[in-house]
Amino acid sequence: MAHDTAPTANTRLFRPGYEGHNQISARTLGFWLYMLSDALLFTALFAAYAVLDTPMNAAGGPIASQIVNPVEGFWQTIAILGSVTSYSLATVAMKNGNRGGTALGIVAAIALAVVFLAFGVNDLTTLAAHGDGMDRSGYLSAYFVLILTHAIHMGIGILWMLVMLVQIPRYGFNEMVVARMLNLRMFWQFQATVWVCVYVYVYMIGA
Amino acid sequence: MAGSHSDPLAHPEVRQGSAVRYIAGFISTVVLMGAALVVTMRHGLDYQSLVEVVGGLAALALLSQAALFYGLDISRAQIWKGVSLILTVPLFIITVGLTVWMFQSLDQRTMVMPASNAAASQPTLLQ
Amino acid sequence: MQLQVPGPWSLLLGRLTLDQIPYTNPILQVTFAVAALIGLVIVGAVLYYKKVGYLWREWLTTVDHKKIGVMYIIVGLVMLFRGFADGLLIRTQQVLANGPHAAGYIGATHGFLPPFHFDQVYSAHGTIMILFAATPILTGFQNIVVPLQIGARDMAFPYMNAVSLWLTTAAAVLVMISLFVGDFSQAGWVGLIPLTELPYSPGVGVDYWMWAIQISSVGTTLNAINMIVTIVDMRAPGMTWFRMPVFSWTTLSTNIIGLTAFPVLGVALALLGADRYLGTHFFTAGMGGNLMLYTNLFWIWGHPEVYFLILPTFGVLSEVIPAFSQKPLFGYVTMVAATFAIAGISWLVWLHHFFTMGAGPDINGFFSVATMLVGIPTGVKVFNWMFTLYRGRITYTVPMLWAMFGLFLLLVGGLTGMMLAIPAINYTVHDSVFVIAHFHCMVLMVVCAGFAGVTYWFPKLFGFKLNECWGKAFFWTFAVGTVTVFTAMFALGFEGETRRLDWTFNTAWKPMLVVEEVGMIIYVLSLALFAVMLVVSIRDRNKQKLAADPWETSRTLEWLTPTPIPFYNYAVTPQVNTRDELAWRRKYGMEHTKPDAYEDIHMPSNSGLPVILGALAGIWGFAMIWRIWWLAAISLLGVVLIVIIRSFDKNAGYHLQPAEIEAMERDLSIGAITAEQPDRSHHIITHAEAH
Repeated sequence: MAHDTAPTANTRLFRPGYEGHNQISARTLGFWLYMLSDALLFTALFAAYAVLDTPMNAAGGPIASQIVNPVEGFWQTIAILGSVTSYSLATVAMKNGNRGGTALGIVAAIALAVVFLAFGVNDLTTLAAHGDGMDRSGYLSAYFVLILTHAIHMGIGILWMLVMLVQIPRYGFNEMVVARMLNLRMFWQFQATVWVCVYVYVYMIGA
Repeated sequence: MAGSHSDPLAHPEVRQGSAVRYIAGFISTVVLMGAALVVTMRHGLDYQSLVEVVGGLAALALLSQAALFYGLDISRAQIWKGVSLILTVPLFIITVGLTVWMFQSLDQRTMVMPASNAAASQPTLLQ
Repeated sequence: MQLQVPGPWSLLLGRLTLDQIPYTNPILQVTFAVAALIGLVIVGAVLYYKKVGYLWREWLTTVDHKKIGVMYIIVGLVMLFRGFADGLLIRTQQVLANGPHAAGYIGATHGFLPPFHFDQVYSAHGTIMILFAATPILTGFQNIVVPLQIGARDMAFPYMNAVSLWLTTAAAVLVMISLFVGDFSQAGWVGLIPLTELPYSPGVGVDYWMWAIQISSVGTTLNAINMIVTIVDMRAPGMTWFRMPVFSWTTLSTNIIGLTAFPVLGVALALLGADRYLGTHFFTAGMGGNLMLYTNLFWIWGHPEVYFLILPTFGVLSEVIPAFSQKPLFGYVTMVAATFAIAGISWLVWLHHFFTMGAGPDINGFFSVATMLVGIPTGVKVFNWMFTLYRGRITYTVPMLWAMFGLFLLLVGGLTGMMLAIPAINYTVHDSVFVIAHFHCMVLMVVCAGFAGVTYWFPKLFGFKLNECWGKAFFWTFAVGTVTVFTAMFALGFEGETRRLDWTFNTAWKPMLVVEEVGMIIYVLSLALFAVMLVVSIRDRNKQKLAADPWETSRTLEWLTPTPIPFYNYAVTPQVNTRDELAWRRKYGMEHTKPDAYEDIHMPSNSGLPVILGALAGIWGFAMIWRIWWLAAISLLGVVLIVIIRSFDKNAGYHLQPAEIEAMERDLSIGAITAEQPDRSHHIITHAEAH
């Protein structure tokens, strides 16, 4: 081990002028770690869904194949992926310093996210209107809460985008705005990733 | 705390954004999900094979998102994201996998379905 | 969706009515009187010495990792005291309420606590000790020590660090409020299902328990992110991974656990919350709920949580033992590997908390073997510490005594843990007090390492040592008390006493229950000695003039800073040349070398928002508990607004001038963390405007 290396004339004890870490990198890494934590949250919900997805837990209520519609889910998939792609393209516009293009991409992302949410909300309210709400059975509880948790994430993302729409014209692309844009990109892409898992697991395997 | 006073738009994570990659990510995920949808709607597979095929397509979609959306690679800007993801993925598998395993066994031992309900049943991961 | 809850509900106050305040209970009257007295004394002292402004500017709004760490530890010690008081009540009740003819006092049939009250006491004891005492104390250490050990000026996200602290504090306050407004959960700290469901626990107790844990675990998750980024991104030049002190390594691994395990707890409790508030059927006994799903989710978090507590204490031992053996830590690399092995295996063992569920021999076998595997890396660690001691120049200072006793408890707890890992034994002693004695050995090992850490790092922060003589008296009474209580408890486990008994029906248990009570009295004595130690040390604080390294044998980087430590940590970022940097510099006579010149330091500005955020989170929790929907909506909106307002804040901190730094380095008390800092708002810098 280098423990006993004697100091030489070149040994430095201090490092004046050391710049330290990069603020944007620290923020994106921190946010990435938050997303891993969030991914574990969804993992736990998936585990709960797996346990409650049995005819016994449907308690006489509908089972997965009676409530999911894979074709409609496919339109949702296209909507959410479109939203994610337009937001990602907004960050490409940011790379080129194009404020207008960035704002346009964000607005398109919001619009597509609203389309996605409309499908989901319609599904859930229709079910609830037929008396198959989340209080009907253990299975429906798991289904509703899984879909709603994802929808709440989407809602938070939309709110965040609205804040960015105010901050970009106000501050331009300064360090903080850029860091937030990058974090939001990860957050938004992550919603698509979660949706792929939900779609495949709930809508397809359940069909 | 020393803030870098360089141009924030020069940051590698801003630079790595690429329209081609994002559009490729969109297309690949839509195509893979479309394929999964076709497999599902044709109802040609038994439950076990369906889980394997659709699950495999989903895994491909997730991989393509990791590369094309998140842009994970082993560059200096991205290495810790990749490392932390690789450390976390086993936890996803452990959490869902061991849970399914233990409840599968538990249900077999404790939740014997009455025969009359069998008609309403469909295969799920626990059965 | 408004579920039917028993009792009155009004739009303005939700379920809160005057009868919810248990002012007729004599025990709570005394508690309230004492709490009010202490509160009045503190508030009075702050007002009398005109310290309100100081408290607000220097502590409540601070973003300094050391002050935040100190506040974490204070919260933890207050809650430790509360948890201990609960423990004392439990033990006293069990010894008084022994046998069918045991007398009853103040309204109880046996003993002095009716079951309704006793159940709250043990639930609060567990919840508090694990989540509101041990966790904040350890988080506090990590906050204080890690940035120093890796040569950083602060955490990666100082503002978020303050947010974490105030969320944890808000949750602790909620637990305390449950004493005087409404009641606490009666379903154990694990939330025994379906007892926590609305039909069986219609009161607010479970809600207090649930929301307090939820709020504090958000704080813990944020803190975990902060710690990991700090360690990954902010190490001083030359601090390569394998030069990093073991405490920082254990902090990294423990926070990886925290980051990944706490969301699962969040889900378990949120689903329980959905059952209680939205009428879902996740864990209900009928309608397709699955009781064991809750237990499963809870312990997916619960077991990693155990290592979340244990790993940092291993880190403390790995700092204290080499320092007082005057030798480098034996087997550094294996120590690091063992740390991560433990963290990894901790995710594979959770079913051993419910072997009796009946999942079958394959599954019980798998989890049994996985559990035993933990013993291998732990054994590696214990042998490494022993080889560090071997032929070392050992000085039995107070931290070293705590560390040695910690090792003893680790051995006892670990070996009984191996017994419990065997399903056949586990079926026999499941839910007996044998299990309680086992895990108390483990968590008391955490407490021992905690006190080792407090004594070890105290002088670095405050510039004076804790009194050695009283410290030893405190240690010995604590150690004797521990051995007395838990030896008897192991015996009671073999005699078949089960957990959570408000009435110990078997008279054959009496002798051991009395021994336990004697141990508790020794504990009370040790607590008094702790208070004396604090008072004497603070009184005599000016009698000693301490150098940078007050112990004179410390090895790691944090001891390079002056004592007491200035708020900016390092005047100039150090260059790290080796593992055990300070020991190396001492060996070559360079430990007093100062930098040639000082330069600007960029510091983050204080902010009042985190404490407001914490307060709003606390109010939100209170409103949810009592179902005061308007208040919940307003406070939640407030939280969202504050987060948005903060994002519009252009303040990017201030620059400390070289002349100021030089003055503070010369007269260390000016820059000490207890000193009042001058206003530096004229040096504030803002984020660059548009590009």
